[in-house]
Amino acid sequence: MLLMQILLNGILLGGLYGLMALGMGLVWGVLNIVNLAHGAFIMMGGYAVYFLYTSAGIDPFAALPIAMLAMFLFGFAVQYGILNFIVRSALLNTLLITFGFDVVLTYVAQLLFSADLRTINPPYAGSNFGVLGLTVPVVRLGVFGVALGLALGLWLLLRMTRLGRAIRATAQNLIAARLYGVDPRLLYAVTFGLGAALAGAAGGLFGLVSQISPYVGATLTAKSFVIAIIGGLQNPLGAILGGIFIGIAEATSALYLSPTLVDVISFGLLVVILVTRPASSFRAA
Amino acid sequence: MTKSLPGLLLAASIAVVLATVPWWNNAVLLQFGINAVQLAVMAQAWNIIGGYTGSPSFGNSTFYGLGTYGTAITMVQFHQSFGLGLGVGALLAVIVALLVGIPILRLRGPYFAIATLGLAATVGAIFANLPIAGENIGLVLPLTRDEPLFYELSLGVLVLVTLTVLFIDRSRFGLGLIAIREDEDAAAVTGVNTTLFKVTALAISAFFTALVGGIHAYWITFVDPSSSFDPRLNVNMVIMAVFGGPGTVLGPVVGAFILSTISEVLASSISTAASLLFGIVIVLAVLFMPKGLVDLGYGFRRLGWRYFTETVRQYRL
Repeated sequence: MLLMQILLNGILLGGLYGLMALGMGLVWGVLNIVNLAHGAFIMMGGYAVYFLYTSAGIDPFAALPIAMLAMFLFGFAVQYGILNFIVRSALLNTLLITFGFDVVLTYVAQLLFSADLRTINPPYAGSNFGVLGLTVPVVRLGVFGVALGLALGLWLLLRMTRLGRAIRATAQNLIAARLYGVDPRLLYAVTFGLGAALAGAAGGLFGLVSQISPYVGATLTAKSFVIAIIGGLQNPLGAILGGIFIGIAEATSALYLSPTLVDVISFGLLVVILVTRPASSFRAA
Repeated sequence: MTKSLPGLLLAASIAVVLATVPWWNNAVLLQFGINAVQLAVMAQAWNIIGGYTGSPSFGNSTFYGLGTYGTAITMVQFHQSFGLGLGVGALLAVIVALLVGIPILRLRGPYFAIATLGLAATVGAIFANLPIAGENIGLVLPLTRDEPLFYELSLGVLVLVTLTVLFIDRSRFGLGLIAIREDEDAAAVTGVNTTLFKVTALAISAFFTALVGGIHAYWITFVDPSSSFDPRLNVNMVIMAVFGGPGTVLGPVVGAFILSTISEVLASSISTAASLLFGIVIVLAVLFMPKGLVDLGYGFRRLGWRYFTETVRQYRL
């Protein structure tokens, strides 16, 4: 029974992990930018929802769209105003410049919000219900549902809309997409904005199940990266599956090995997966 | 060779001047000097695998950590000399580089980057659980307050690694590495044994990184898993190398000295906003000199202010 409960916890948390990776995978797959500030974007989303709840009294789940819109505009501006000027240079440069963003955002967050750990605590935070002898926390179930919904939404957006087609076409071949009338500067900015918006949503949800501080960014970036690779960059639902996989792996390893090894487990799994999978499947990047 | 002779002579004379720093009677400067020189060694060692070979390692702290622990375990647990400890640390790092390099160097680009990052975390966790390495607490080394010795040793390693890079830059081996960086498949087709070349590059890089780790451990007289396998170390050495100019002989050293100085000045004058300004410096550096300081130096002489518009035009969407 303990194992079943652990598995359930892992799956519920894994949905959120998947959502974190979703934005990073989208930006990586389409723009070929590995955004090292992704974790910092998640952190910003977390603070946005936290203050919308504590200062304006908006329910955290209702505050998500507001935070997402704000993060979309922020991401759009960052890509349009800065990253577009450097996006075609070597991968190391985009790694470095986004690392620079991470440093700046972490510092600004520390200045504005102090280093305190914060948790978003709506009145229903402690409530849960039992199913088949398992305890299901309401908040975590909600978080899982929203994460799944957003992944599905992104999948539909990419499959069914003109914007989605333009994004997919650009990911495949920038020059060909340009010939068919896609404005790459605008499209890159919109895509980066979407990635930031997803990070914002993940941040709000993260604040509900864990603690936000200015320094959570780096760990979350690494985790998003790992899951984006495991889940693959092609399909949003793959990211959710990758997240669930890591969620389960972490939960079970915390139970059977040692809680201190949790972060190493996901990295170790990643190295094993990377090395054992045939190199050809990674050529696309 | 003749074309770059003035630059090399200048570098050599700067090295001679730097070697006299311990006699300037400035303890703060010496302290700063040891740190800056050690970072320069790491940036230069990274340059071999990251700059010349183009494999963006974010896990060189693995080798640094192996150097610190190799030295510490040899000295503390086996009561051997510092010199032997350095050797053990370097040997350990080279062995790990060879063993791990073969599978990991098959990965490319960001996949290689994250695998090396994972390697550093994993090796760190292993040492945090090894009784002989003092587990989470670490080891305390015998105290030797001989800062000039540590400074000169670090500087010696810096000269050695720079000469190695100079040799690589001029050799067939280096040409092979550059060919791999520019197009690995094409390099393989033209007869470069890519696996052998890349693993050798990683092993050389590991060797020097481990040496500096060992010196650092004896200087600080303390090793523990979190500082020995610090992920920030990886980022720092990459930033310094890329800031100066990856794939050039002197770029990473210049980058390390300049960035060390900037962050030291910032930390002492406006300590609160130091990291903020450091972040801004990185962003601006990537935007305006994406090919590094060395390329800026050459390009600016040729094009003047137009250098900036030219590079932006080259990389903008």
